[in-house]
Amino acid sequence: MSETTREKFIVPIGPQHPALKEPGHFEFTVEGEIVTAASIRLGFVHRGIEKACETRNYIQDLYLLERVCGICSHIHATAFASGVEKLAGVEAPPRAQAIRVIVAELERIHSHFLWLGVAAHEGGFDTLFMYSWRDREVVMDLLEFLSGSRVNYSVNIIGGVKIDIDDTMADSIRKGIDFLEERSEYYMKVVTTDDTFVGRTRGIGLMTKEKAELLGSVGPVARASGLRRDIRYENPYSAYREFPIDIKTDEAGDLEARFVVRIKELYESYRLIREILDNLPKSDLAVRVKRRIPEGEVTCRVEAPRGELFYYIKSNGSENPERVKLRTPSLCNWASISDVAVGLKLADMPMLLVGIDPCFSCNDRMVVINKDKISPNLISWDDLRKYGIEYYR
Amino acid sequence: MNLSLHPLILLILFPGGFFLLSIGMFYEWIDRKLVARYQNRIGPRWFQPLADTIKLLAKEEIIPNGVHKGLFVSLPVIALSGALTAALYTPLFGFRAAFSFEGDLIVTLYLLSLMTLCISVAGANTISRFTLVGATRGLTQMFSYEAPFMLALLGPAMAAGSWQIGTINQFAGDNLWLIIAQPIGFIVAIIGLLGKLEMQPFDAPEAETEIVAGALTEYSGRGFAIFRIGKDVELVIGLTLVIIFYLGGIANPLEFVLKTLGLILLVAGLQSLFARLRIDQTVGFWWRIGALMGLLQLLAIILGRYLGVIIR
Repeated sequence: MSETTREKFIVPIGPQHPALKEPGHFEFTVEGEIVTAASIRLGFVHRGIEKACETRNYIQDLYLLERVCGICSHIHATAFASGVEKLAGVEAPPRAQAIRVIVAELERIHSHFLWLGVAAHEGGFDTLFMYSWRDREVVMDLLEFLSGSRVNYSVNIIGGVKIDIDDTMADSIRKGIDFLEERSEYYMKVVTTDDTFVGRTRGIGLMTKEKAELLGSVGPVARASGLRRDIRYENPYSAYREFPIDIKTDEAGDLEARFVVRIKELYESYRLIREILDNLPKSDLAVRVKRRIPEGEVTCRVEAPRGELFYYIKSNGSENPERVKLRTPSLCNWASISDVAVGLKLADMPMLLVGIDPCFSCNDRMVVINKDKISPNLISWDDLRKYGIEYYR
Repeated sequence: MNLSLHPLILLILFPGGFFLLSIGMFYEWIDRKLVARYQNRIGPRWFQPLADTIKLLAKEEIIPNGVHKGLFVSLPVIALSGALTAALYTPLFGFRAAFSFEGDLIVTLYLLSLMTLCISVAGANTISRFTLVGATRGLTQMFSYEAPFMLALLGPAMAAGSWQIGTINQFAGDNLWLIIAQPIGFIVAIIGLLGKLEMQPFDAPEAETEIVAGALTEYSGRGFAIFRIGKDVELVIGLTLVIIFYLGGIANPLEFVLKTLGLILLVAGLQSLFARLRIDQTVGFWWRIGALMGLLQLLAIILGRYLGVIIR
């Protein structure tokens, strides 16, 4: 075929596609099976949560922010609550902090098991998908037993936690994680030794340590490239100060390493949960916090299952925050996809996409398509409205 | 041992035609149910494939823009008729094949390949990018598994000294199961069957997480239903062929049921054991391992024959 008649063959994935459980749009330019270019477009599920936070008070925001993500709901509430506590000048009691960490780690287990299944499904290994999701039910049941809910646990309140962990609960958690530990060891064996599966993951989507640093990767993706980046380790918060974690990294930087790192993190979570349950501090569950939060601003970083979650809260002394800004880990990791995709096969794309454990609704931001008419930095509400009407006319 | 019926009944009612369609759907259900149970799921109820078919047949068939309408409508029919014609040369359920002549093995195999060919042409016919990628992958896969699969079925044919499926069936019934004499051939044949039917792990041509439904993405109602039925028929014929060639042949309906059920247990197990192979891995697998094993088997048979002659 001559150069002039040659057209780009673009395979679109999304916004509606069986590989994606949430809407996102990816365009892969392919030559045969080889991907030569990749582009990402997000923004299909922008919900305006940050703006909505400004019109609600701190207590209401806690529940709103918990619904940013359907998987890592607890960590959002933890980040927000600890930020507000810092502003208010109080600290949650030790027992509350320990319980927050236990729930956060259980949530991490649930999230990693979920990811393991989804990633296996994208690689066409449905048996592993079904098995890991069956085992995930165990930790979901534990969370339900603790909090009364399987997804939005709503464990946090500003100043502490709502639930206590008694001996029966502690015993059932121990029993549950004993079972899960056994299963995790089995999955570790599967993802590192199963020939067909290793054929789809080993050496695929290679990202070096330097590149991971350059692209600003966070969480397990960064750790799979050998980057020692984990907020729980770098800047311990809450009960991680008393119960430190051991950071798990892998030097390989390919898809297999991401599996290995996540499963190793599961082991670490089991160990940490056992340790905290054995030494649960005795104290109250919460301190009282006034409805009006003193003026000031605060940043707060926590480690979500997908990586660093960043919160910025500004208070003007009233019941409502003046500004809440959040940056979710998925947003940091997108660059790693478009950069690494070139040169891989089309069949690797779903696994590569899922390799960063993307959460679309967490990270959808407003996109300004700048047509010289509008300054992208500062837009008044009226201008924005006019721009929107113009754009879609 | 080979029962015979009036040719017209053989063609339309039993065991060909109508009965074959129903049994095809039943075997699809067995396969789906078994895979589901292996994967720790409940799986569909026994009438699910039939319900799917009725639903699809009742649906409006949408013919997308930019396709050749005649091809779009006729390709599913050609595919199904290819599979049904292949059934005529196969001694199903222990009945004598409706037609048979010296060399019908080759005809049957090529009629079975018609399905893949039709699906790929159907994919190339539409302008959707998923179907085009699916069609390319389908054809690539066909060129990779076809030769080793052929070699695998050639081994027993050589042992029987005939290229007629009926004669091979007779030979297999009278002698030791050929799986014992030619184990490599059996392995190649069973994996070739997976490739032929585009089952996991060889389902790259219809990998849903990459290219939706592959070549059949644009098919919705009747055409899709007919393609599906065609595949079900092919499943039954494929199982029958492997049993005739390697598992001691089929003398009566009971033997057919028992042996096919045993084989489908194995096939479903293989389907749930592996992750999907990329298309380049599939090609590599077949030409590096599959074809080599097939040739090795062939060589062993030829040497064995020579040795037999020398000893005698």
